[in-house]
Amino acid sequence: MNASVTLPKGILSGVRILDFTWKTVGPWAPRLLTHFGAEVIHVERVGSWDDHRYAAHPSPIVGGPQKEFTSEQGTGPLHGGGHADGKKPYYNTPYFTILHHGKLAISLNTRHPKGLALAERLIGISDAVVENFSGEVFPSWGLTWERIHEINPRVVYMSTSGFGHSGPYKAYRSFGPTAAAQSGLSLASGLPGMAPAGWGFSYMDVMGGWMGGLALVMGLLQARKKGEGSYVDYAVTEGAMSLLGTYMLDFQVNGRTTRRPGFPPGNRALWPAVAPHNTYRCSGKDRVGQDWWVFVACETQAQFESLCRVIGQPDLSRDPRFATNEARVANQDELDAIVGRWIRPRRRYDVMQRCQEAGIIAAVVQSAEDRVEHDPQLKHRDMHPVVNHPEIGEFEYEGYPVKLSRTPAFVHGRGPLLREHNRYVYGELLGLSDEEMKSLENDKVI
Amino acid sequence: MNGVYDGLTVVELADRRNQWAGKLLSDGGARVIQIEPTAGGPGRWCGPFVDDTVDPDRCLDYWWYNTGKQSVSLDVGRPPAQDLLRRLLAGADVFLESTPPGTLRAYGLDHGSVSSNRALIYTSLTDFGQDGPWRDYRMNDAAHLALGGHMASTGYSDPTLTPIGGQGHQAWHMGCVFALHGITLALFDRMTTGEGQYIDVSIHDACSIGTESAVPEWLYNGATLYRQTGMHASARRRPDLELPTADGMYVIAVNQTFGDRGWAKLIEWMEEKGVAGELTDPKYRDEAVRMADYRQGTAVLDGIRRLIAACKGEEVFTRAQSYGISWGLVRAPEENYDVAHYQQRDFWRDVEHPEIGRAIRYPRGPFMCDALGIAPRGRAPHLGEHTRLVLEGDLGLPAAQVDALAAAGVVR
Repeated sequence: MNASVTLPKGILSGVRILDFTWKTVGPWAPRLLTHFGAEVIHVERVGSWDDHRYAAHPSPIVGGPQKEFTSEQGTGPLHGGGHADGKKPYYNTPYFTILHHGKLAISLNTRHPKGLALAERLIGISDAVVENFSGEVFPSWGLTWERIHEINPRVVYMSTSGFGHSGPYKAYRSFGPTAAAQSGLSLASGLPGMAPAGWGFSYMDVMGGWMGGLALVMGLLQARKKGEGSYVDYAVTEGAMSLLGTYMLDFQVNGRTTRRPGFPPGNRALWPAVAPHNTYRCSGKDRVGQDWWVFVACETQAQFESLCRVIGQPDLSRDPRFATNEARVANQDELDAIVGRWIRPRRRYDVMQRCQEAGIIAAVVQSAEDRVEHDPQLKHRDMHPVVNHPEIGEFEYEGYPVKLSRTPAFVHGRGPLLREHNRYVYGELLGLSDEEMKSLENDKVI
Repeated sequence: MNGVYDGLTVVELADRRNQWAGKLLSDGGARVIQIEPTAGGPGRWCGPFVDDTVDPDRCLDYWWYNTGKQSVSLDVGRPPAQDLLRRLLAGADVFLESTPPGTLRAYGLDHGSVSSNRALIYTSLTDFGQDGPWRDYRMNDAAHLALGGHMASTGYSDPTLTPIGGQGHQAWHMGCVFALHGITLALFDRMTTGEGQYIDVSIHDACSIGTESAVPEWLYNGATLYRQTGMHASARRRPDLELPTADGMYVIAVNQTFGDRGWAKLIEWMEEKGVAGELTDPKYRDEAVRMADYRQGTAVLDGIRRLIAACKGEEVFTRAQSYGISWGLVRAPEENYDVAHYQQRDFWRDVEHPEIGRAIRYPRGPFMCDALGIAPRGRAPHLGEHTRLVLEGDLGLPAAQVDALAAAGVVR
């Protein structure tokens, strides 16, 4: 256990965040603040741990908390390699590191009166408290907004939940796909006439978490200006609905619903309707047998004329079926077939490069492998920095995308081990003696 | 209403990429002056329009993304307009721009040219950022979802079908949320240092950290994910859990656990609908047995499929949730207007629209918090609505000079 902690200096140096989050959507918000020197204390239950220390990899429908990570579960350097019996409790899967990078970790039993007293003392020395439990959990500990505000009037309290802490749905449970489904995001993704494609990951756990991070930094700014904290009741479903305003207004004004033939339009464009604007099959398949695709779009007449030259059919732009954007949209099926025939035998990055060199919008449908191994732009921008874990060594992770000229973000290195910072937080920050900490450990409080 | 961005002056160079960031600054209380070309910014021309009639003052997408802003129409390609913009930036707190890298340098409006305003937070939100081999590539929102990895995970279980990008400018939203992170952090810093700075945000960078397990699965397991209809992409194929209801809707029936109480209620519900089948077998009372079947077998999934097919969507959602099961109903965005929950949370805010002679109910915004005050402050501006107000009121130009600039086509 670390008795002292040295964080790099940044904009948020001296800002302390008490982090009761778990899963995905909650942890993202304080994680984004660690890049600027905030001291984020991640609280886990005594005798247990954040599920994502072990179970972050698989889809949410499989697997459960695995008590130990064994070498059979993976071949990478983070999967127990090098340990004699093949079992080693790293308490730290890679995805946990992505979500908890740069944080401190402590254990605490808030259901024990002494544990609650410690939580309240920590709230007293924090600038923000964040959690993403179901709505009843914090109040069941006695930690209502009123109580938190009484303990520390300067503190920002942000609860993140699927539906918020008031209203008929307040006790409802949610994770990313629930929020995407309920908001309308899932319906607005797919091929016309088919089941919704939705989002193939928890967009609202990721983007939802980033929005939570924004609310948190807004709350800290406001608290610094006003000298008083505030309560942010962040409902991820409302966050998702705030990404769909155009469809809301189209319904309010024009009475148009999104349950209509032709919507969603696949990868074609609606507002404005331009053509071509679609994904096209290329030569080759990925490692699991799915075809490779490239996206191509022309938003201007000049781009379309360039595309006609690139595909070796310069006369096409004078063909009445395709001479204007309006005509191209009306004859999109034929146009897609022509463009698709040219692209079909070609290699995807060649198509992208030839189109881009001619000023045409084109983008390979990149997999994670493509982005990590072959994307020169992400490499140039250092979006997969190598960090160093004291137990495991060097490994890559996902970086931070905002570049500030005077106060740059930094990468810490890793997520914390289980209860790694108990001694620092309880001993140094709260001033408990070794005997007091021992006694609390015996009482299973910490 | 108090707002977290009260008292700030933001100058936004109109662009579809950055307008949501400007909207949230305006919704949070900032005065946002949007600089548009004299023909109107691209956000005014995309549609949908009121009654489907093309009119730059009646574009609903523009209305949504530009609440409360002021519109100043200048031809920034011409030196007199460049001079006016420079003067505006001398008094601004935040500049938000999305031009192709290098454009503003040619106009004498790059960061170095305007940083005599030491407090200015100059934010460039662009497709690829200010450097790198793809810096000058042409993109739009769907192209970012392709290149950033979202499409590779999204689509259908049928491997011959295309990957899909979600509608609604989601790549631009991802860029905007990070631009706002940078701006808000820079404001935090400026309170103590008094100094602004330059912020470079790449939409591609933002998108590419937003695909959840895809990158760690590749980095640490060497896995490529299968697309699956309406569900998470996964390193192994899974049974379909986007299930049709009796009334033609879909339910995302993903279970993280099956606790005893929820399971008992689920079986009771299945029996009521006459679809429980073999699941009444006492062996399923053992959580380990039912979870194992759910992951590897067919009995539990078939039962859930039959139950959902026998019920209307609304019933599936509210009943499952009342049993602590986090199933979600795939609603249409606009169907949420009728949901009492959001009404009680004051989620809808009336914005007056004289163009159509009535108020429209807008989503409040992502956060419920009086102290932050993030909510629409008023309708989007008409093209050039505030040109005179800003040029005469803020920059002190005589009315006759504005007339002359307008006559020369420099302003509108």
